[in-house]
Amino acid sequence: MRRHHLLLLVLVALPLLVLPPFLSLGLQNTLVSMLVAALFAVSFNLLMGQGGMLSFGHAAFFGIGAFATLHLMLAVEDGLGVPTPLLPLAGGLAGLGLGLVAGYFATMRAGVYFSLVTLALAELLHTLAPQWDGMFGGEAGMSSMRMPWGGLVFGSVLEVYYLSLAWVALCLLLLWAYTRTPFGRLTLALRDNEQRVRFMGYDTHKARLVVFAVSAMFSGVAGGLLAFSNEVANYTTFGMPVSAQVVLHTFIGGSTVFLGPVVGAAVLTLFAFFVSDLTRSWLLYQGVLFVLVMLYAPLGIGGIVELHLRHMRELRWRALAGPYLGAAVAGLLIAAGFVFVIESLAVLFSSDYAVLRRDAGGLPPFPFLGTEWQPLSPLTWLAPLLAMAAGGWLASRAGRRIAPLWDEARRVHTQGGETA
Amino acid sequence: MSTPVLELRDVHKAFGAARIIQGAELAVARGERHAVIGPNGAGKSTLFNLISGMFTPSSGEIRLAGRRIDGLDANAINRLGLSRSFQITNVFARMSVFENIRIGVMARHGIRFDLLRRAAAMRAVNEQAQALVERVRLAGRRDTLAGDLAYSEQRALEIGMTLSTGAEVILLDEPTAGMSREETAHAVELMRDLTKDKTLLVVEHDMDVVFGLCDRISVLVYGKILATGTPAEIRADRRVQEAYLGEEAA
Ligand SMILES: Nc1ncnc2c1ncn2[C@@H]1O[C@H](COP(=O)(O)OP(=O)(O)O)[C@@H](O)[C@H]1O
Ligand SMILES: [Mg+2]
Repeated sequence: MRRHHLLLLVLVALPLLVLPPFLSLGLQNTLVSMLVAALFAVSFNLLMGQGGMLSFGHAAFFGIGAFATLHLMLAVEDGLGVPTPLLPLAGGLAGLGLGLVAGYFATMRAGVYFSLVTLALAELLHTLAPQWDGMFGGEAGMSSMRMPWGGLVFGSVLEVYYLSLAWVALCLLLLWAYTRTPFGRLTLALRDNEQRVRFMGYDTHKARLVVFAVSAMFSGVAGGLLAFSNEVANYTTFGMPVSAQVVLHTFIGGSTVFLGPVVGAAVLTLFAFFVSDLTRSWLLYQGVLFVLVMLYAPLGIGGIVELHLRHMRELRWRALAGPYLGAAVAGLLIAAGFVFVIESLAVLFSSDYAVLRRDAGGLPPFPFLGTEWQPLSPLTWLAPLLAMAAGGWLASRAGRRIAPLWDEARRVHTQGGETA
Repeated sequence: MSTPVLELRDVHKAFGAARIIQGAELAVARGERHAVIGPNGAGKSTLFNLISGMFTPSSGEIRLAGRRIDGLDANAINRLGLSRSFQITNVFARMSVFENIRIGVMARHGIRFDLLRRAAAMRAVNEQAQALVERVRLAGRRDTLAGDLAYSEQRALEIGMTLSTGAEVILLDEPTAGMSREETAHAVELMRDLTKDKTLLVVEHDMDVVFGLCDRISVLVYGKILATGTPAEIRADRRVQEAYLGEEAA
């Protein structure tokens, strides 16, 4: 296990350190967003995956961190002597403060009621912020500028990137260390069974509040980094899309593994960057992906990888290779069919096509993928539907061959545990 | 008899109109093993819930070592030295056996909100947790997730967790329920060993266990303690025979 971690670290850390100077400006910016999203998701997952508390309003702490950092940046512009690299600290402090207050109330309840309280608190900020000029800059929001410090200008995206990388690495390290402390172990117990923790002598309201506040604090740092990078923020930072995005990142990446949310944040941020130029339906695909993960792979990407690593020795890889390949092909077929349908519909309902239709006076062929397609021809729709059906058939076949192999691996694994 | 370590005086508990506990009186002496028996639905678990702070009594007093504990929160009562198990297994399912026990041992050492040291470096805590894992005979399952244990193993863990906080007064709610004869014998031995210098209050249906393990017995019927005495006294008690033991024998 240890060696896996080290290998992973090298494989991930090295490109992050070395590659960015050779990348486009857009991609550098995307990498900053990715780092911010990764830290936000891991902070969120401290509460969700480890503490068992699903917050639907984590944008509150992310956002407050962004605004606090902007306020401090403004003060630095006016001559306050805070070193520029330390600015995101303001986000952490603001997140911690708001986390203590909001968390005090939210952690009085568990389950759905907890989630609803967090949702309500974030919505409160979301509606309040546009009215509050001094604090949140009203509807327009706030802006500020990074001041040079100690020979660093912080004018280029690259400088911002490396500062973000340092902050995110430090915070992830601290969050990892958290899991190894006595209180980190208690956090898992709170998740599994709060009542029992109480009957073992712990004030669980206080304990859950601490988990909440720590999570809010690191979320605030993430928000602070975003503000530091963008030099602007407005009330939409408190919005539901931000709260929902972190949930998506965490579940798709896998909440049961420490770095799962990082995977989710990285995959979705990068995918959005590469795909958003090609399609406007990216949010739809992301939503569908989320639903599919919840239905068929609730452990998420990270959880699946971890499961395979854990059963490395017991799994019969040779026997699995075939059905896994089949499943991959099935996935591609289904995805291709689905994307074809969605994108065709997007073209058909676009304003460009409306013009074509008006000129032709009927339903003219629509251009897609470099050729023309007849909207009323069954062939146009039969191809993607057939691809999806074939994919579904292949997937269920592969699934039936994979299941017994996994059952066997699990059995061998637990038996091994018993004799050990 | 010196001051009882655990004392209930005229304790009542009603859920709405249902008066479940109706004037329970109980005095448990320090160091004794005391059984609470009674038919299903008599209110035994409710009595445990009242003592351990899950519920607040509607009226009456509960004292632990002379100190009022009724109305205190469960975590405070545990810190005062009273720990309970649950009739329905209540463990940390996704944590290892060792970690389940260690949570309680941490509490015993007052390590509650510690974010500044490594859990693996708590020597005394880890040693005591390991020792307790061995005493409840789960050493071979140390790193197994509690949720993956067999039923009787979970019951052993349940007892281990109850003892882990180092409390002096131990309440066990039907620790042998659902066990085979062999497993029951095993569990009795375990309880005898683990509560050697503690006070034990145990709800138990198996009369062999009760008569073999306990110094005194209280009989709870319809929310009232009908009688308290040594096993011999209880066996001879006519009211008890009518109310409870009679139907067992029949
Ligand atoms: N929280 C509760 N609310 C309402 N009724 C309850 C509650 N807890 C227990 N009771 C009722 O109290 C009675 C005694 O239950 P219990 O104490 O579990 O009995 P025992 O453990 O002796 O079998 C039962 O009739 C049960 O339905
Ligand atoms: Mg009961």
